[in-house]
Amino acid sequence: MKASKSTFVLLILLILLSIMSLFVGVIDVSIFDVLKGDFQHLDIVLISRLPRLLAILCTGVGMSVAGLIMQQLCMNKFVAPSTGTTISSAQLGILLALLFMPNSTLVGRVIFSFVAAVAGTWIFVAFIQKIKFKDVVMVPLVGIMMGSVINGVTNYLAYKYGMLQALSSWLVGDFSLIIRGRYEIVFLVLPLVVIAFIFANHFNIVGMGEDFSKNLGINYNVVLFMGLSIAALITASVVVTVGSVPYLGLIIPNIVSIFKGDKIRGTLIDTALFGGVFVLACDIIGRIVNRPYELPINLVVGVIGSILFLGLLFYRLSPSARAKLSERTRKSKQNSIKEA
Amino acid sequence: MLAVKSNRSKIIILAGIVIIASLFYQFSGIDIAYFSYAMSIRTPKLIVMLITAFCIGSASVIFQSIIQNTIVTPCLLGMNSLYILVHTATVFILGSTSFLVTNKTLSFSIDLVVMGFASMLIYGYLFKKTKGNVLYILLAGTVMSTFFSSVTSTLQRIMDPNEYDTLQNALLASFHKVNSSIIGFSIVLIALILLLLRKELALLNVLTLGKNHAINLGVNYDRSVRRLLLGVTLLIAIATAMVGPISFLGLIIANLSRQLFKTYRHSYLIFGSTLIGMVVLIIGQGLIERVFSFSVNISVFINVGGGIYFLYLLLRNRGNV
Amino acid sequence: MQVTNLTKIYGKKSVVDDVSFEIPKGKVTSMIGPNGAGKSTVLNMISRLIARDGGNVDFKGKDIAQWKSRELSKKLAILTQTNNISMKLTVKELVTFGRFPYSGSRVTQEDVKIIDEAIEYMELTEMENRFLDELSGGQRQRAYIAMVIAQDTEYILLDEPTNNLDIYHATNMMKIVRRLCDELGKTIVLVLHELNYAAFYSDYICAFSNGEIAKFGTVEEVMTKENLSEIYNVDFEVLEINGKPLSVYY
Repeated sequence: MKASKSTFVLLILLILLSIMSLFVGVIDVSIFDVLKGDFQHLDIVLISRLPRLLAILCTGVGMSVAGLIMQQLCMNKFVAPSTGTTISSAQLGILLALLFMPNSTLVGRVIFSFVAAVAGTWIFVAFIQKIKFKDVVMVPLVGIMMGSVINGVTNYLAYKYGMLQALSSWLVGDFSLIIRGRYEIVFLVLPLVVIAFIFANHFNIVGMGEDFSKNLGINYNVVLFMGLSIAALITASVVVTVGSVPYLGLIIPNIVSIFKGDKIRGTLIDTALFGGVFVLACDIIGRIVNRPYELPINLVVGVIGSILFLGLLFYRLSPSARAKLSERTRKSKQNSIKEA
Repeated sequence: MLAVKSNRSKIIILAGIVIIASLFYQFSGIDIAYFSYAMSIRTPKLIVMLITAFCIGSASVIFQSIIQNTIVTPCLLGMNSLYILVHTATVFILGSTSFLVTNKTLSFSIDLVVMGFASMLIYGYLFKKTKGNVLYILLAGTVMSTFFSSVTSTLQRIMDPNEYDTLQNALLASFHKVNSSIIGFSIVLIALILLLLRKELALLNVLTLGKNHAINLGVNYDRSVRRLLLGVTLLIAIATAMVGPISFLGLIIANLSRQLFKTYRHSYLIFGSTLIGMVVLIIGQGLIERVFSFSVNISVFINVGGGIYFLYLLLRNRGNV
Repeated sequence: MQVTNLTKIYGKKSVVDDVSFEIPKGKVTSMIGPNGAGKSTVLNMISRLIARDGGNVDFKGKDIAQWKSRELSKKLAILTQTNNISMKLTVKELVTFGRFPYSGSRVTQEDVKIIDEAIEYMELTEMENRFLDELSGGQRQRAYIAMVIAQDTEYILLDEPTNNLDIYHATNMMKIVRRLCDELGKTIVLVLHELNYAAFYSDYICAFSNGEIAKFGTVEEVMTKENLSEIYNVDFEVLEINGKPLSVYY
């Protein structure tokens, strides 16, 4: 099967990069030292490098899958946690947690941020569904603007209560502060991705529209709400531990779908793997470019991601690509109709 | 004729408000003992605000007319982030001690030249590639603006801490710390831009009809648009150099001006949006300094208000954007 | 106007391939043909709206590209299909733009006279101060034609002027075209989809097919059963009403 080949390549790449990531850093840790049983170096690996690697993987996998789910549900290639209002609402949620419950634990903040993220995403989706935009690009524009309004409010509140500095660690994604004992909440991503995989076909059908899913006996609103909540929860747990990383949810699923089409079951694993590979690669670049200092991940992703996104946009604008694309969506639609 | 008369009186009323607001900003709440000190602080600030309002107001109206859409402004497409990137990059490459950087006028001129080339290249390509589809331009523009600021922060992180200090202290402006050292130069520059573009500015009314009509009426369309776009870029660069980035100001004032004057005549639209911009900036900054005693930043207000206003415009125009 | 070997290439495909013809002066010429046959592209090229990839467009002894754009706009006017002006413009203001090639932004006494006449000619006088976006499609189309009339050119090129108009307004539009030719002596070139409008209201027909000219001649010459069946690839019957050929396809 063709699908398994790309999955296999991505998996190998992921493993290679993971090993590389463990041994790149300020303190040189070579693989032989660890194998020889050098305990000091082993500690470094266990306390800082391994958690970092896991956080990176969860971020990459989680944000990409969250983006994929949102794109499927909204039937719009440009919707993602960053272009919807999910990330900015999650940040506002954290700020509210800091303001109202200064002693809240990490879990408390996740809950606040999750509730805010779900509410924000839900409002956004309800908004764009009520107003049926003619042009697909209108939707992310509205999302970006709503996001910037929410960010403005967050900034204002943070400024007013002297929280700007405290907040900045959630505004800017950064893996360098991740150590054992303070990041495990990000593992929440894993069960959520599994759930997403199980319900993948449902998301696909709901993406085809309300009438379509009714026809197939699926409760549109329940699945839509569930899907958005999963995406929001993934986003919230990543934002709380790592901070915001732009574009991931937007770019990764789009690149994968160029090669593999829009059938969510077929693309979900590849999207997840590619997300992990991409963030790992960006993180390693960020650690190497300016040694011994690090560049925060959101800068590296911001630069590389923007370029990729623009490439994607222009690719879509070229007439031949558009023809191919619409052909493919038609086919995948037909396929899912057939299967259903 | 009636319309002209009432539009003229609207301009006069707006100008009156600007004068009163300026006087109020300049002279209210002054301790006589420190009169000359207060003047030395306030006068440059006031002048900078007036220039900024003109630059952003006129650049936004012109830009909207060339691109034939009223929900787009140059700042939404990241032109001001591009300027900050250009500026950071020149300091990064030349080093903070180079006389090309320490001499403010010289460094500003270098920025402007680089900015002119860069934006013609980038935005020219963007317009060509999207074939004028405004929504794609907007989306690509917002992404580019993230891109520019990401590259800027990356450069700032990589650069020598001393150089970063110079950059931060002397050159990156905000409304709290306006960059008044280039006032004279900027005024000369603006006058020059207006002089060189006077022919194209007179064509603006025709350009609003769209490419086909404009060519049909004998306008050298591509050339005029290119020159106007360059002018817009430079105006935005001047404004950003003086007060830092304020993304939504142009959107608000250009659209308010269009709503208020309900005309296609650019003399009114440009003048109107300039005056509205002055009113917004002077009153806003005055309130923040005197009433809120600096507890908030005017750009936060403008961005939140502007974002909501933008959403409103998107929804109102959604039939015909 | 003499067109020779006109060519336009998009990517690798030539949408207009080596087209040559001459526009008869003082007559109405209609360009017809299936979608994508290249008629609008030709119209846009001979009016300098888009660049051409080969060939010559000789206008009054000089190639179109050699003309000063401003001078050309006093001799030749083009109206395309897409006319969505986003600005607040009244009918009169729009028509005033037609005088731009002559007087720039300063309107003279003579201009005012010509503008009023153009508005009257298109029967728009009562709504001359209304904004364009308040008008119906037919009225707006008439306003654009009024602008073209105010431009006072010998040649007028119109790209699907009946597009989006109902039967009443479309027929009126064609009558106006005829009058512009008969009363004001204009040379008019139109791109039309409606075959029978072309047959009823024009003098010459230029039929395109696959980027080339399939037939060019008087209405009677082109409007035959054989020609039309070949160009459009469906069965045709040509009847005669009021001495004009009328085509029926099925």
